[in-house]
Amino acid sequence: MNSHKPLLAASLLLLLSSGVVQAHENEGIGQLGRVKFASSCDPKVQPLLESGVAMLHSFWFSAGQKTFRDVLAQDPSCTIANWGLAAILMSNPLAGQGASPKNAALAQAAIEQGRRVSPGTQRERDYIEAVAAYYEDWSNRPERARQQARAKAFEELAARYPNDDEAQIFSALYIAGTQSQADQTFAAYLRSAAILEKLFAKYPDHPGVAHYLIHSYDAPPIAQQGLPAARRYASIAPAAPHALHMPSHIFTRVGAWEDSAATNARAAAVAKKSGEPDQAYHASDYMVYAYLQLGRDKDARQAMEEAMKVTNGPQQSIPYAIAAMPARYAMERGAWREAMQLQAQSTRFPFTDAITHFARALGAARSGDIAAAEKDAEELARLHKALQDAKNNYWATEVEIQQLAVAGWIALAQRRNDDALKFMRASADLEDRNEKHIVTPGRIVPARELLGEMLLELKQPALALKEFEASQVREPNRFRGYYGAALAAEAAGDREKASAHYAKLVDLTKTAGSARPELARAKAYIAQR
Amino acid sequence: MSTTGRMPERSAARRRVRGLALAAAVAFFTAAPGFAVEEDSNPQAAERNPDYAAGKQAFDRKDWGEAVRRFSRATVLDPDNPDIHNYLGFSYRKMGQLELAFKYYNRALALNPRHRGAHEYIGEAYLMGGNLAGAEKHLEALRKICLLRCEELVELEKAIAEYRARPLTGTR
Repeated sequence: MNSHKPLLAASLLLLLSSGVVQAHENEGIGQLGRVKFASSCDPKVQPLLESGVAMLHSFWFSAGQKTFRDVLAQDPSCTIANWGLAAILMSNPLAGQGASPKNAALAQAAIEQGRRVSPGTQRERDYIEAVAAYYEDWSNRPERARQQARAKAFEELAARYPNDDEAQIFSALYIAGTQSQADQTFAAYLRSAAILEKLFAKYPDHPGVAHYLIHSYDAPPIAQQGLPAARRYASIAPAAPHALHMPSHIFTRVGAWEDSAATNARAAAVAKKSGEPDQAYHASDYMVYAYLQLGRDKDARQAMEEAMKVTNGPQQSIPYAIAAMPARYAMERGAWREAMQLQAQSTRFPFTDAITHFARALGAARSGDIAAAEKDAEELARLHKALQDAKNNYWATEVEIQQLAVAGWIALAQRRNDDALKFMRASADLEDRNEKHIVTPGRIVPARELLGEMLLELKQPALALKEFEASQVREPNRFRGYYGAALAAEAAGDREKASAHYAKLVDLTKTAGSARPELARAKAYIAQR
Repeated sequence: MSTTGRMPERSAARRRVRGLALAAAVAFFTAAPGFAVEEDSNPQAAERNPDYAAGKQAFDRKDWGEAVRRFSRATVLDPDNPDIHNYLGFSYRKMGQLELAFKYYNRALALNPRHRGAHEYIGEAYLMGGNLAGAEKHLEALRKICLLRCEELVELEKAIAEYRARPLTGTR
């Protein structure tokens, strides 16, 4: 027990009776959402402690770690802050990678410190022991086992304190952290979401509830259910960089492009201001992707040019965005000659270099320049091999998908139609089996959409329509997806479907102000009907 | 979901040069799409498993016993990594322990049915055991995987052709 006990008891009572303790505008940090986390700490550090918990909920790890350390510096008996430190040092519990060895050692030291200075309440002791379950025998257990232990410990904590909503929220987060990629029923995600949905109604301004709901629905078949939380989260915790960008993962999955462009514009601006070039580039890539779907080409170009002004840095997301944005800008507009003239870069990351070679090769093949396409195809093969040799299996597969697509379009240019379809179909099938990486809002162009376009060129519109519609399930509300489907339906004589797809395209691009010829055609078709 | 997997047997020098140049740069982007660009902490996965790195070093110097020891330990922290199982299969094959080699190759293929290296090497292991049909099964798998051709397919085709060309003796 600490020496402030009587005072603390009084303040705790005050905190509990006052209802919600806000973590707003605290210490000049900015708005982080409303968090109520009862503690036996000195009342003077309680707001700071709650700011730390709010940062933890928004995965603002560096700021959160500093905040918990500040709490301990001001009130060494506030040992629950050691739980916060250990929780933050686990890093993103949904990314699957877990704590680094260095952070695990720091966390274990924090836990030991928390145990040494006896926590003020049994509840606080139980929080510390719950997080300790993750770090127990850390170096001898795979991450999956640590995740399971953590989820079990926090479920037990939540059961022991059914009226402690923070315990319920953390329990839901760590349940979601056990979701296996192989489980396509998304059982863990949905179990987590069921807990959080109830709390979302009770705490509409809680950063963790909204945030974890987004993650719990971050899979294509269930993404739509995450839309309300995604639309709330950025306004709950706009000071947290993750809160501004994260909702766009849901927006992108469901094709809510206006939302995605708006939140990423804010995220990019905040990141630039706070000197985080990786965040700025990453948000800009999502923003460019969104604008291009809306047919807002000028905005896309401007966002891309603004992003390129940001001083480069060593972070890994930067070369990806630098390569992806111009490739998207050319290919989403079907500007094949522009694509083939993109300048290839050589970076430390073979898969980002591949983006430009893919765009150049596809652009060249679709412009009839087979020799140029083959040259870039060779570069893709070289980069694929480099990724294989580095055992970078995920990205090797992504580059293989690009290689197959390029081989398909080269074969088509050479009038080897059977080979063309064989390669392009293999590319699309392989892409379907490989989940997109979170570094990207989407592949530069979806392979199944390219298959639809190839079938259109081969005068097989009914089959093309089938592929476009299949692509729309996985990559909804895309400009080229609707246009391709409309063209295919029109060519196949299915006027109803052609009208429906053209109408969706026109609706999608109502703020476009774009001169894209596809829009003129869509409007003319609808008018004609 | 993934590809890859050739061993240094035929391309050691080439792989080592490329590996050194690339490993540090790309290790961050390891197999699982767990890249967390939004987070401000993301240690490299490769650094987390010292046994994997030590296993690869032993492997490169053809110290098969030490490679087996370190890769076996590496599976404790990383039980579902097909590359580690492939390395184990290869090391056991080099030690002449075919039964264990098959066990680990099959585990690699169960984890990643498109693992090119595991298909090639298990095919070659089948040839070592005189099982041509077993090798051809994996050749067929590689033909489906490598639509654009690949080294693994070429090497297994070559190994099968050499096997067929050998005189019919009891040692084949």
